[in-house]
Amino acid sequence: MTGSPYAPHTEAETRAMLDAVGVDDEEALFDIPDAVAFDGDLDIPARDERAVREEMAATLERNDDVVEFLGRGHHDHYVPAAVEDLAGRSEFLTSYTQYQPEVTQGFLQALFEYQSMLVELTGLSVANCSMYDAATALGEAALLADRVRDADGDRVLVPEHLQSGRRATLERYVAGADLAVEAYPMDDGCADLDALESAVGEDVVMIYAENPTVRGVIEERPAAVGDLAHDADALFCLGSDPVALALLREPAAVGADVVVGEADALGLPVSYGTGLGLFACREAYLRQIPGRLVGASTDAADRRAFTLTLQTREQHIRKERATSNICTNQAWVALRTAMHVAALGPDGLVELAERCVREAAGLAERLDAVSGIEAPVHDRHHFREFVLGSDRPAPALADDLLAEGFAVHAIDEHRLQACVTETNADRVEDLVAAVEVVA
Amino acid sequence: MFDVPDDRQYLESHEWASDDDPVRVGISDFAQDELGDVVYVELPEVGDEVTAGEEFGVVESIKAVSDLYSPVSGEVVAVNDDLADAPELVNEDPYGDGWMLEVDADDPGAFDGLLSAEEYRAQIE
Amino acid sequence: MTDYDQARWSREDDPVYESLLAEKRSTTVEVEGGPLPDDLTRESVTLPDPAEPELARHYTRLSEMNYGVESGPYPLGSCTMKYNPAFSEDVAADPNGLVHPDRPDDTIQGILELAYGLQRDLARIGGMDAVTLQPPAGAAGEFTGISIAQAYHEARGEDRSEVIVPASAHGTNFASAVMAGYDVVELPSADDGRLDLDALEAAVGDETAALMLTNPNTLGLFEREVTAAADLVHDAGGLLYYDGANLNALLGRARPGDMGFDVMHYNVHKTFGTPHGGGGPGAGPVGVVDDLAPYLPTPHVRETESGTYETYEPERSIGKVHGFAGNWLVLVKTYAYVARLGEEGLRDASAKAVLNANYLAEQIDFEVPYRPFHHEFAATAGDRDAADVAKRMLDYGVHPPTTKWPELVPEAMLTEPTEIESRETLDDLARAFNAAAADSDEELEAAPTRTAARRIDQASAARNPRLSWQALDDE
Repeated sequence: MTGSPYAPHTEAETRAMLDAVGVDDEEALFDIPDAVAFDGDLDIPARDERAVREEMAATLERNDDVVEFLGRGHHDHYVPAAVEDLAGRSEFLTSYTQYQPEVTQGFLQALFEYQSMLVELTGLSVANCSMYDAATALGEAALLADRVRDADGDRVLVPEHLQSGRRATLERYVAGADLAVEAYPMDDGCADLDALESAVGEDVVMIYAENPTVRGVIEERPAAVGDLAHDADALFCLGSDPVALALLREPAAVGADVVVGEADALGLPVSYGTGLGLFACREAYLRQIPGRLVGASTDAADRRAFTLTLQTREQHIRKERATSNICTNQAWVALRTAMHVAALGPDGLVELAERCVREAAGLAERLDAVSGIEAPVHDRHHFREFVLGSDRPAPALADDLLAEGFAVHAIDEHRLQACVTETNADRVEDLVAAVEVVA
Repeated sequence: MFDVPDDRQYLESHEWASDDDPVRVGISDFAQDELGDVVYVELPEVGDEVTAGEEFGVVESIKAVSDLYSPVSGEVVAVNDDLADAPELVNEDPYGDGWMLEVDADDPGAFDGLLSAEEYRAQIE
Repeated sequence: MTDYDQARWSREDDPVYESLLAEKRSTTVEVEGGPLPDDLTRESVTLPDPAEPELARHYTRLSEMNYGVESGPYPLGSCTMKYNPAFSEDVAADPNGLVHPDRPDDTIQGILELAYGLQRDLARIGGMDAVTLQPPAGAAGEFTGISIAQAYHEARGEDRSEVIVPASAHGTNFASAVMAGYDVVELPSADDGRLDLDALEAAVGDETAALMLTNPNTLGLFEREVTAAADLVHDAGGLLYYDGANLNALLGRARPGDMGFDVMHYNVHKTFGTPHGGGGPGAGPVGVVDDLAPYLPTPHVRETESGTYETYEPERSIGKVHGFAGNWLVLVKTYAYVARLGEEGLRDASAKAVLNANYLAEQIDFEVPYRPFHHEFAATAGDRDAADVAKRMLDYGVHPPTTKWPELVPEAMLTEPTEIESRETLDDLARAFNAAAADSDEELEAAPTRTAARRIDQASAARNPRLSWQALDDE
């Protein structure tokens, strides 16, 4: 059959519709000048469903089958089948943004619940119902800081240990606002508070820190970073994720004004970097927060009902004065994350978080026992992952490990990084054995 | 038909300035109707300077956002704090309880963009 | 006429439709004696704690108080709510594709091959020379494309400060240009609803970095003077940007590259059938002509001489617009859709979309002032309030069109049925429009009455924002 498999028109129907419109054929409906009409070939053959599935499956099989011990901003946790199942319901999956709230109460309530979970985990009053990913959320946080800060300023301070994609995206976002991004040094994996204090000045709009850091280090004194920010009237932005937030000190308790992060550590399996930007902030910034917000109200039957609110911040009303250009976000991923948090419950979530600490410590200890390896490099507490030092050049060691079927990060000449969660904990012994061979 | 009291002057952009001293500023009945339910008003602080013809704040409804322009130049001496909790006052009583600012004007009535009630009435028809 | 009734379980004096998870069962867990010292950890966590059957019932009920493309007609103008092929979900879930983005290139040849293939297919469809898949949404694509234009001008030592945007453009166009640091010059439409070339000529100059256009425009009209506009902008040294929201009208019949566009974005969740997911995720790949290819975000995918695939950093890359490679799960579904339809299917989808819009406009009792339109049209509700008409249409089991936009049409109802509707469903949809048109003002103002919730008080939601269950507790 030719034509779109998803257009249901029979020839007879098409004929009848053309008659109703008063034209002889479909082409007559197009008002495209000859000069710009395309009559060439796109060279894209149609295939039937089975052929496409087979072709794509065969292509993806060309990915090597390795056991990943990878993290650094994108993490793998087991997603319960119930999440897949429930989120996949077509009423959720194939719906649009809730511009008609009366008929989309279900998704609105689910997003309201997602926002609430983040409020609990961050301790801040407001969470939006998603940004694209942690990197773009960080960019938006810097722009928010620039908007709300009274004094002039043009510097954004970020930790030296920062995933390169986050740094680069932040730089792209702030270029339009003429802000400059500067890194402050680390002290054995944590923020170097003395160096940070020297770097801070009146012209700083925001200080960013992560907990845990990209290297998995748990910040010892995040509140001190917050104090430095506030002394300079700068915003304190903390980066984290929902699993870590269940265990570590709440960002609100350490003075965070804004929290960003990768919320799809829960909700999605590892997915080549597909993200969910967590964004929460203090009540004071409510009218400056980017992205969509779901609020509670009442309806004509006097019942509680949910709706998108404070839309005057957004592009479709405020256009060039919008808080952000964001329109389509990661709503369906937020739905999955909320389902996952609910499926775990607070017990399951705290247990998972504690496991992330134990597994990392355990793997580090096993690797440290291997001759030629020092783990962890930083004498700190770790969450999911840690940096290890190698006598052998790290890139070569990482390559050899790949040949053995294991993927770790090589982060510089003599350092690697390994991430362990409940999804690969059962392969730890095999990883250690392989490291023993190649170290 | 929209209410256009004679005891004050207007801007083309729908703000009004009273004849008192300090000058009171707000938006017209026509403006509040155009906006729909007002949900938020962003106002300057007491002590701030405003300039005739320039923006002093923003008024938001559910579906629209509008800049607010000052009819006079001078120092803000009072701001209507009631609007923070009850922005609907702008809709209910735009010329009375829905007032926005009081300004110690340098030269009230000097701004040549000011319209008389009659001129403004003609404009909105 | 459909006797629509959306699911609802509340009893007469229930104050809510469905309890929140936190209201059903919530537990506080003390965080103590764990593997970390006390000063590094929080004291407790309070979160919902449903058993799995409760979880399933909660979300199933919520889903039944929702409405998707698979529920019924969804003619939202500018959104292209087409059917999302079931099999594409399976492809996205293929475990072989669920890998970490930091994997070395030679270990993920499958992913890179799909990425390269999609880059190539989109380039062909748009008449572009190179495509990046990194922007995670259409607006992100706009920001990326305008940033590329900016980098291009800067590299040539030109300091241009303005981006021209038609008044009828989508709000994201304005916001994206400003995010990139530009001032926006708004261009009024001509009387026929199209681009006003004279106004454009007056607006274009040394400060013009780019003109952003949607074609067909947001009224569904083809911009006949697009090449003249391209010439004006190019002669002034500016670039031409294409907003791909309405690409569904052109597939296989016209390509932005042939009209003089230098850079464009695609909305894959519109034109290429990936699910809207209640507001996302989507993706906004950006296509560029050769001169702009060096500025693409990093990393980009290319084929090597030996026929393998590798990522590389374009020599003058603008950097990154996403932490990793974009919304990969969405891109996989895009690839699947394009492969399934092929060139013939895409061309036919476009034709049927345009036929459906024209047929529907014929059947409804509302006027459509601007013609000839393509895949979408802006009807006017006349002396009725478009928002009220929309609420009443919900009672007839359909999702209403986009309302009150573009502003050029008073009481606009921007309607885009897409190619997936049959004549019968279009007739049903038309009946819903017409029934609402015939209903009294009272019935419109009281609507909706057949949806799970009744008309919601927007003013109080905005005046007194309560954005979490914690905020509800505080009252």
